[in-house]
Formats: sequence, C-alpha cells, structure tokens
Amino acid sequence: MRLNPLTVKKLRRFRSIRRGYWSLILLGLFFVMSLCGELFVNNRALMVGYEGRWYFPVLRSGIYTGEDFGLPYKSEARYRELDALFAERGGGDFVIMPLVPYGPLEQDYVAGSYPPYPPSLERGHYLGTDNLARDVFARLFYGFRVAMLFSLAYVVISFAIGIVTGCAMGYFGGLTDLAGQRFMEIWSNIPFLYLVIIMRSLIPAGAGTTERIVTLLLIMCAFSWVGMAYLMRTATYREKAREYVDASRVLGAGTFRILFRHILPNTVSLVVTFVPFTAAAGITALTALDFLGFGLPPPTPSWGELLEQGTQRMDAPWIVTSTFAVMVIVLTLVAFVGEAVREAYDPRKFSTYK
Amino acid sequence: MRDYFIRRFLLIPPTLLGITILVFFIARAMPGGPLEQALMQAQMAQQMGGEMRMGQRTGQGSNITPRQREQLAALYGYDKPWYLAYAQWLGDVVRGDLGKSFRYQKPVWEMIGNCMPVSIYYGLVTLVLTYGVCIPLGIVKAIKHRTWMDSTSSVLVFAGYAVPGYVLGALLLLYFSFDLGWLPRRGFIGEEYEGIGLWQAIGDPAISAPGLLWSLVKHSILPLCCYMVGSFAVLTMLMKNSLMDNLAADYMRTAVGKGMDFRKAVVRHALRNSLIPIATGFGNNISLFLTGSFLIEKIFNINGFGLLGFNSVVDYDYPVVMGVLLLSSVLLLLGNILSDMLVALVDPRIRFT
Repeated sequence: MRLNPLTVKKLRRFRSIRRGYWSLILLGLFFVMSLCGELFVNNRALMVGYEGRWYFPVLRSGIYTGEDFGLPYKSEARYRELDALFAERGGGDFVIMPLVPYGPLEQDYVAGSYPPYPPSLERGHYLGTDNLARDVFARLFYGFRVAMLFSLAYVVISFAIGIVTGCAMGYFGGLTDLAGQRFMEIWSNIPFLYLVIIMRSLIPAGAGTTERIVTLLLIMCAFSWVGMAYLMRTATYREKAREYVDASRVLGAGTFRILFRHILPNTVSLVVTFVPFTAAAGITALTALDFLGFGLPPPTPSWGELLEQGTQRMDAPWIVTSTFAVMVIVLTLVAFVGEAVREAYDPRKFSTYK
Repeated sequence: MRDYFIRRFLLIPPTLLGITILVFFIARAMPGGPLEQALMQAQMAQQMGGEMRMGQRTGQGSNITPRQREQLAALYGYDKPWYLAYAQWLGDVVRGDLGKSFRYQKPVWEMIGNCMPVSIYYGLVTLVLTYGVCIPLGIVKAIKHRTWMDSTSSVLVFAGYAVPGYVLGALLLLYFSFDLGWLPRRGFIGEEYEGIGLWQAIGDPAISAPGLLWSLVKHSILPLCCYMVGSFAVLTMLMKNSLMDNLAADYMRTAVGKGMDFRKAVVRHALRNSLIPIATGFGNNISLFLTGSFLIEKIFNINGFGLLGFNSVVDYDYPVVMGVLLLSSVLLLLGNILSDMLVALVDPRIRFT
C-alpha cells in the first residue's frame, strides 16, 4: 500500500512524540495480552503432564474430567488441587498453571470465613477477592478486555453513523441540512445516561448475555454519533466548495462517486484524531452504567461493578484501590495517545524566551 | 449580530419542545413504565394480604379489578394516548406547574427547589476554585514549558482528566473518610444541622456559625475535589496553550526586543489576549452549575439536582424526570448562547451572522 506523503509525515511526527507513541505500544500490548488472556489468567492449567502424556486443557474447547487424571470425580478437573497433589506425590507428573490461576467467574470460598478476602500471595489472589469470592485481578483483567472490545465497537458504530449523516448533510445541504441540524440539536441535548436507563426495559428478560451487551451498545451508539456528524458536516461543506469536486462533476462523476472517491478520503483523516477520546468516553460511560447497575449483565466482569462493590464494602480497600489504579493507568494511556495524535495532525510550534 | 442572537433565542422554544416530546414519547413507549410497576406492586400487596387473611382467597384475589386499573391509569396519565398526555403536561408547564411526583405526591417544583441550594453552592464554589487554580497553573506551565515542573504537572493533569470524578470520589472516601476518619462520609452537612434554612441559622443563637461553617466545609472537601478534577485539566491546558500561542506572537518579540521586562510583557500583553478562549468556555458552566454530576452526588449522597434526576429516572417518576429535563435543557441552551455572546464580547474580531 502506498501511503500519502502527508500521512507518512503525520505518522513520523506521531512516532517522534515519545509519550504518546509508547502509550500506544503499551496499550496495544495490554490489549493483545487480554485477547489471549486465557493464557495468563485462568483456572485451567496451561499444561498437564500425567503418566507420560501431555495435556493442554487451555487450548481444548471441551473439558478434561477429574477421571482423566486419576481423580474420583466426573466434573472438570480442579487443576489447582491437582497441582498441589502432583507436587506432593512427586514423580514425573506436573501441572503448569497460568500466572494467575483463577477465572473471572470462579468463586473461591474459604471455609469458615466470608468474602471479600484480602490479597494473598500464597493463595494466588494477588489483589484479593470481591464480595462473591471472585479474584479481583482476574475480573479487572477480563473487565479490560470487555471494556476495550466494547468501546472499539462503540467507536466504529457511532463514527459510521456520524460520518454518513454528516456527509449527507454537508453534501446535500438545504433542507436535509436544516432538518438534520435541528434534529441533532435536540438529540445532543438529551442526557443520554438517563435515556439509557429509561430504555433498559427494551432488553427482553430472557435475553442472553451477548444479546444484552449488543442492545446496550446500540442504545449507547444511538446517542453518541452527533459530535462526529457535526464535524463531518463542516468538513464536507468545506471540501464540496473546492474545485476538484466541480472538476469531477464536469467529468461526469455521479454523487456517490464524488462522495466516496473524492470527498470521504479527504475528510476522513480528521476522524482519526477523535478515536482515542471517543474510546475513552465509551469506556467511561460503560463503567458509569455498570457502577449504577444498568450496564453489562452480571456476571460479566466489569470495572464499574467492581467499583460498586468496593463502595459498598469500604472495609475491603483492595477492591476500590486496584480498580482505581487500573482505570487511571488505562485511561491516562488513552489520553496520552489522543494528545499525541492530535499534535501529530496539528503541530504547534512555539518559541520560548530565555 | 443582534439579529443573530435574537434568532438563537427564538430557536430555544422549538428545541425545548423537541427534547421534551422525544423524551416523553420514549418514556411512554418503553415497556414496564410506572403503571406496570404500580400494578405489580398492588398485585403483590393483595396477594400477601390475601394469603395472610385466608389461604383460599389467593387464587381470585390476586387480580385487580378493571376499575382499580382505570383509576391507576388515570393517576399516571395512561388513560389517554401519549400526545394528549403530553399536551396536558405542556399546558400545565406553560401555566408554571410541573405536576406532582408519582412517588412522593409532592409538587415537582418543590422537589427541585429543595435541592437547588445544594447544587448552586457546589456549582459556585467549584467554578471559583477551578478558575482560581487553573489560570495561575496554566500561566506557570506555559512560561516553564518543557521543564520538570511542566512535565510532572502534565502527567497529573492528564491522569485527572482521564479519571472520572466519581471514581476518584470512591478512592477518596475510602482513604480519607473510612480509613483515616478525617472527613465525614456522606451528605451535604452534619446531621445536627440538617433541615435548617440559611436565614434561620443566622438568626438562631443556639447554632454556632463557625460550627455550621466547619461542618459544611468538612462535608464539601471531597466532593469538591471530584467536581474539580474533570474541568481542571481542560481549563489548565487551554490556558497553557493559548498563552503559549501568544508568547510566540510577534508583538511579544517586539515588546521584549524594545527592552520591556519579560514579566511585564507577559502580564500586560500576552496574558490579556490569551484569556479570550478561557472566557468563551465560561458560558457552558451555567449548566454544569446546576446539573453537576449525579454520579458524584450519588457516591457522596448529596441531594442535589443531578441525584434528583437520576433517582426519578430509576423510580419511573416521570413528572420529576420531565421537570429536571426541562430545567437542565433550558440552562444548557442558554449557556451555549451565553458563551457565544462572551466570545463576541471579548473578541471584537469575531462576527456572528
């Protein structure tokens, strides 16, 4: 692919802004890690060596029962117990567990005491557990994956709607533009968190988790496209007045060709600068909704839900503290990336006096 | 210019109409509204009552008679189609009546009025503190650009920008109220002072003014931190960037070149010009002022305007929702116009047509 020299210049400028560049790399690394998160945070073993054969429970879609490893039960093998057992027994059998040997939904009760349990290195709960004895690290980790995927989808969908509407308004102008503007003025003044809560009953009671998440996503996107539409409207207006549009019309290009081949490629680079900020807004809005109890359906791991638990249980400071720390890190990284992208597009040259 | 602003003002009523119609319609169209809630509650109450009185009646007693149903529907305005209900609501609003809360049976105006002082207090104090801190900080950061002071405060400013206020609130509550016990956990003011009006408090010798004030300050430290944290970053960076633009301007070089003291040149020339963008954002604060952030109000249990709106949404208390929505939309729209007016006022180069 041949890149536009202007784009190359912007890319180079972005790379030269070290804080933003490294933030992007770090963020990308976290995201990739979370996508294959089962290798790092999981209650299934990475590898089991039993009687000379190797098993890879993580990679298998089915389960290995306890009987497969010579244990007297038919449910899924409990790998942490197996690990302890093999270690005690000695010999060639072994279990390799992930770094954090707990799943996000798994409840790990300790007999005789009530959760939340404080962080403990020896039990492998590095950040403690929540009110239902689920590992906080695992929930934060998978919460990150959910939040990132959710906000990426949020960015894509709301930008798509915004770009199409904005382009149409800017290109056709006249009545379309006027009607669109009035509608957007109304739409953007509606407090969207309220409407999401009012619309919560749209989600059918018997719906599955994925269905609920998608409905929530669509409701949120229905309100978030307005900013992008305004932006694209102005950009399209500006481009439409240029000579190359007239030239291509004279050459016989149709509306669609002008819009998609000429105007869009020239305006769409503007969109990039808004991706990080919109992604951050998506994460924040989702967390707020989860915090209020109107977001992702339980037991989906989520930051907002952890925050809510933490504010209920102030005697378990590890919940709020670790959630806060993770949110600060991730959102600050996103903000750094956003700042760098903006600067790469619109460099400010300053002279300073000494 | 005058015509432009007149046109803007004239656009307010239709926009308000649009907003309220949309929300009214959506609230009505959603399944599981207040009527269904009330019916369900009534049914459950009857079932319980029936079971307690005698076991055999439960089967038939669980249904509400059509008459009762009609009464309930009339109470909630569900006895007529939504547009008629909306027209009725609108008629009442024009006469200055926002209706009665479904849940508390109190006039909506009274409920909004009750939380006004709290919201205005937080709005004003936040405004003063934010501008009071951000402008000097932005100036220092611009002059000390690319020094360690600038970079460290930048990281802090960005972290503050990135983290939502209520999340910070949860952490602050945890450490300063729960762990250390320095500051109170919830509410607007100490319990002993609750329900006392301002004038009453001043006139009553039994209430010590310093005590009251101290209680208020103690309760507001943490929420104020959270309110400030969001706008803080934006304003500081805006101040810094606009001052830096002006520091690089030719007239500054001229001023310094002809021998003017740098400090004097900054204060007299660059600073005055760089306050223009700061002034433009000012108008938007008018809505923040009152609506605040209901998440912060929720976490600190402050009965402000935002929390009222949120609670009424959750409780399907639609008259209150509509009242809050109407008021906050008016403020938002006025704020937008105000900020444009400020722009025109401080920068004569800008012309609106």
